[in-house]
Amino acid sequence: MKKTALFAALLGMTSIAGTAQADKLDDIISSGTLRCAVVLDFPPMGMRDANNVPIGFDVDYCNDLAAALGVEAEIVETPFPERIPALMSGRVDVGVASTSDTLERAKTVGFSIPYFAFEMAVTANSGTGITSYEGMKGHTVGAVAGTYEAIALEAQVKEWGEGEFRPYQTQADVFLALSQGQLDATVSTSTVAQANVQSGNYKDISVVGFAPFDTDYVALFAKRDEYGFLNYLNLFVNQQVRTGRYDELYEKWVGGEVPKLVVPNTYR
Amino acid sequence: MFDYTFQWKQAFNRLPQMLDGALVTMEIAVLSMALGIALAILLTIFRLSGSRPLMAFATTWVEIARNTPALFQIYMAHFGVASFGIHFSPFVSILIGITFNNAGYLTENFRGALKAIPDTQTRAGRSLGLTQLQSFRYIIAPQMLRISFLPMTNQMVWAILMTSLGVTVGMNSDLYGVTQDLNALTFRTFELFALAAVIFYLITKTITLGGRLIAARLFRY
Repeated sequence: MKKTALFAALLGMTSIAGTAQADKLDDIISSGTLRCAVVLDFPPMGMRDANNVPIGFDVDYCNDLAAALGVEAEIVETPFPERIPALMSGRVDVGVASTSDTLERAKTVGFSIPYFAFEMAVTANSGTGITSYEGMKGHTVGAVAGTYEAIALEAQVKEWGEGEFRPYQTQADVFLALSQGQLDATVSTSTVAQANVQSGNYKDISVVGFAPFDTDYVALFAKRDEYGFLNYLNLFVNQQVRTGRYDELYEKWVGGEVPKLVVPNTYR
Repeated sequence: MFDYTFQWKQAFNRLPQMLDGALVTMEIAVLSMALGIALAILLTIFRLSGSRPLMAFATTWVEIARNTPALFQIYMAHFGVASFGIHFSPFVSILIGITFNNAGYLTENFRGALKAIPDTQTRAGRSLGLTQLQSFRYIIAPQMLRISFLPMTNQMVWAILMTSLGVTVGMNSDLYGVTQDLNALTFRTFELFALAAVIFYLITKTITLGGRLIAARLFRY
């Protein structure tokens, strides 16, 4: 009787100690599934193919991460504004969602080292005569609500003091409004701009130049206090570059010169 | 599992911006209600007119307004009409969308109110020498508006809440739009949206209570 009680007490203690120590990384490995928040309205990073299957750079990146962890990948479609609720409510484990690693946001979530970098391009409606970034001054411009470029462009419009800024909910809405002439120009990542202009879905739009914003480094994100997991993510990003997989994925989905992920003259 | 440290101060710092947004939200709702009531009265007159094309027009409006999502109506007011080369700003688009919806629902409210007014009143008016329109104007309409006053405050609440759909057509100056902008900036999703919800609640509660007070004062029998 005494032995049984002791055994039960020990069992209880180990199981408590066990749950107390299991962190996110353990949870993912033991659950056998890695749930990634991916934005599927953001070609070529995330989109759907003709059979409605998620594809894109971020989708492949999530699959690689799951393979490295030895678990199944589950792509959870997450629009830009819902990335944080999805993470905090435990619907996803990690965000592979082209998320800019701003200091303001880092107060809320934990970011890995950058896994991709965007340059920003200006796409204009052909009827407006806009041929450069400066040419947008005084015009109605827009971008996808909640993105790095939307925040930067809105600030720029305020600084110019003329023209109007309109955020739309999806990239598709932005290009629809642009081809309808509701917007005169938009700033988006150059990859997105090229993909949409070449898609032929939108008439009268063309890429007219680069936007002089700072390079938009995007990072994977997870809960801020999951050091074990964040540590793993950092190493994973490093390994993707080291093994040439990053170059491979870039060539597959984007093509052209691969953006550098390191900032000169600093650590990390 | 939900572990998250709430940082309410970050949200409260943004309260002035959100209150500015709340003003825009109320502006849209009030305008859309005023226009909606005017249009609904017109549609009710169309329905009572006995003219087939006018009745069909009113019925089509009410059917579309009541049986399609408000999101669809607002989206059409922006992207739909733009495919015909007509461009409305986000503010005008959301105003048209909600006004369209309001007019449809209010017309139905008015229909319910009309059912509560005996037909004989119109006939009494007619026998006193009033025209059809005059008897509507002087006898029926005042009673109709009185009976449907409280349902109208309902629609007003609905209009306030529908302004949150403005983000789909590029609004960023209303309460919901401002909140979403701030969310993108700070990622403090829960605090900001909780605060927005409280503001929405206070606005709508004020409207329903105010409506009841006004009704109690105006409609003493």
